[in-house]
Amino acid sequence: MITKVSRPNLLRRKNLRPVAHLTIPTWIFLALVVLIPFFYGIYISFLNINLASFLPPSFVGFDNYQTVLAASETWSTLRITLIITLIGLLMQIPIGILLALVLHENLRGTKIFRSILITPMLLTPVAVGLTYRFMFDTDLGVINWALGSIGIEKVNWLGSQTSALFAIIIVDSWQSIPFVMLLVLAALTAISSSLYEAARVDGATASQIFRRITLPLITPTLLVITMIKIMDFLKLFDTLFILTRGGPGNATTTLGLWTYKTGFVFLEFSRAAALGVIITIITLPVYFLWRRASKGVR
Amino acid sequence: MILKRSASYSLLFLASFLSLFPLFWTISTSIKDRVDSYSLPPKFFTFTPTLKNYTSLFSLEKFWQIYSNSIIITLGSTLICLAVGSLAAYALARKPKFRGRTPLEGLMIAIRALPAIVLLLPIYKLSSYLDLYDSKLGLILIFAGFNIPFAIWLMMSFFEQIPVEIEESARVDGASTFKMFTRIILPLAAPGLVATGIFVSLLSWNEFLIPVIMAGENSKTLPVLVASFISNRTLDWGPMAAAATVALIPIVLLTVVIQRWLVAGLSSGAVKE
Repeated sequence: MITKVSRPNLLRRKNLRPVAHLTIPTWIFLALVVLIPFFYGIYISFLNINLASFLPPSFVGFDNYQTVLAASETWSTLRITLIITLIGLLMQIPIGILLALVLHENLRGTKIFRSILITPMLLTPVAVGLTYRFMFDTDLGVINWALGSIGIEKVNWLGSQTSALFAIIIVDSWQSIPFVMLLVLAALTAISSSLYEAARVDGATASQIFRRITLPLITPTLLVITMIKIMDFLKLFDTLFILTRGGPGNATTTLGLWTYKTGFVFLEFSRAAALGVIITIITLPVYFLWRRASKGVR
Repeated sequence: MILKRSASYSLLFLASFLSLFPLFWTISTSIKDRVDSYSLPPKFFTFTPTLKNYTSLFSLEKFWQIYSNSIIITLGSTLICLAVGSLAAYALARKPKFRGRTPLEGLMIAIRALPAIVLLLPIYKLSSYLDLYDSKLGLILIFAGFNIPFAIWLMMSFFEQIPVEIEESARVDGASTFKMFTRIILPLAAPGLVATGIFVSLLSWNEFLIPVIMAGENSKTLPVLVASFISNRTLDWGPMAAAATVALIPIVLLTVVIQRWLVAGLSSGAVKE
C-alpha cells in the first residue's frame, strides 16, 4: 500500500521550519517584566512619587535626576561598587583561571572535583550569607578562630568598612569563582591540543606555553567574564543584604542596594527610579562590550 | 601541565575543602545545641546531635505556609518557563532569521544584564494597580518572566542537537507543526527539558529580591524567612542554620540528579549569540 506522492512544496526547507508566532507567549511575559516596567520606570523618574505621601504625584521634570546627582550618597555608593568590582575581579579571575587549568589537566577524579567546585554557585545566596555571617562572627566565628590558631589577632569583620568590604568580596568570590572557572574551562577545552604539542616539540616551557598560547586564546572569554562580572557586581544584593545591609552606616552600600534603600526604606520612589535609569545608562557600555566580546568567543 | 601533579591535587583538595566547608558548617550547626554551637574551639565532630533547632523552626507560626509558598511558586513558575520557553526556544533554534528575533533576544539579554531592582521598582508600582502585590499568582508570573530567558537559552542548546531530518520526514508524513513539536521534538528533548526545569526551579527557589519587594504575609518564600532571622537582635544560630539547611538540602539533592547538564546551564547566556 505504499503510494509514492511527490510533495515538492512540503519538502522545501522554508516550510519545514517553525515560525515566529511560537515566540508570542514569551513576548507577553517579557513585555510584562521588562518592556513595560522599563518605560514605566522612566516615566516614574519624572514624577515626585513618595510612598509615604498621599498627595497625587505631579510632573517634576529632571528634578529627581538633579537631586540624585547632587547627593553625595550616589557618588559614594558608586565608588564602593567600583571598589568591590575591581578587587572582586582581581581575585576571582586569576583563581578561576588557576582552577580551570588544574581541572583541564584531566587528572583522575576531575569530574568529582568539578562537581564539588561548582556547588557554591548553586546554593541559596541568602543562606550562604547567613552562614558566612556566623563564620565571620568576631568572638565565636570559625574564621577568627582559624586565624587565631596561626597567630593572627581577631578581626571585627563586619564592623569596619575595609574588612566588611573584604568579607563581602570573599563571599561573592566563593559563589562566583566557579562561574569564572567553568567559562575558562570551556575556552581551554576549545584550544586544539596540536598547538601545545608543537610548542613542546619546539622546547617551550610550561610558563611560555601559558603566556604565549593559552592566555591569548582565552582572552576573548576573559573579556566576556569581565563584562558579565561588572554587571553582576552592579546587581549584587542578596549576600550583601544579609552580611551588612550596606553598613556600618552606608560604608558597604553599593549603587544597587542604595537604589533599593531609596525606594523601599526612605520611600523616595521617584528618586529610586531615577537611580534605576542611571544604573541602566552605566550598564549600557558594559552590555555592548559584552556582546562584542562574546562574538569573539564562538 | 603548569603544575606538578602533587601540586594540582593539593590545590584541588584545598579548593574542595573551601567549597564544602560552609555547607558542612551550616548543617552541623543546625544539629548542635546552643552550648555546642557557641563553644570555642569550635566543635567539628565531637558533639551530641540534636533535632531541637528543627523542632523550633517547624513550630514557627507560618513555617509550613512559607515552605509550601516556596514550593508552589517554584513549581508554578518553572512549568510556565518550560511551556512558554520551549516554544520560543524551538523557533530560535530552528529558524535563524525571523521578524522580531533581534528585539526578543535584546529583551532576554536585558534581564541578564540589568539589576533586577531597576525593573522591580516599576513592577511593584504596577502590581498595586493589577492587585498582584503579595499574591502567589503575581510572584509566579514575575518569577517566570525573569527566568524565561535562561530556560530558552538552555532549551535552545538541546533543540539544536535534534537533527532537522527527523522533522522533515515527519512533515512528509503530514504532521502539523504543533503535532510535530509535541509528538516528536518534545519527547526527543525530554532529558533536556528535565534539566532545564530543574535549573530554572533552582533559580526560583533561591530568588530573594523579588519576594522581598513583592511578597507580604501571604506569599513569603523561604529565602525571605531565612533572611528575617538576622533582623532579631538575639542571634540564635541553631534555628537559623536549620532554616538555611532546609533551603539548601533540596538544591544539593537536585544538582546530583542534573550533574550532567549543570555546566551548560550555569554558563547559559554568557557567550550565546
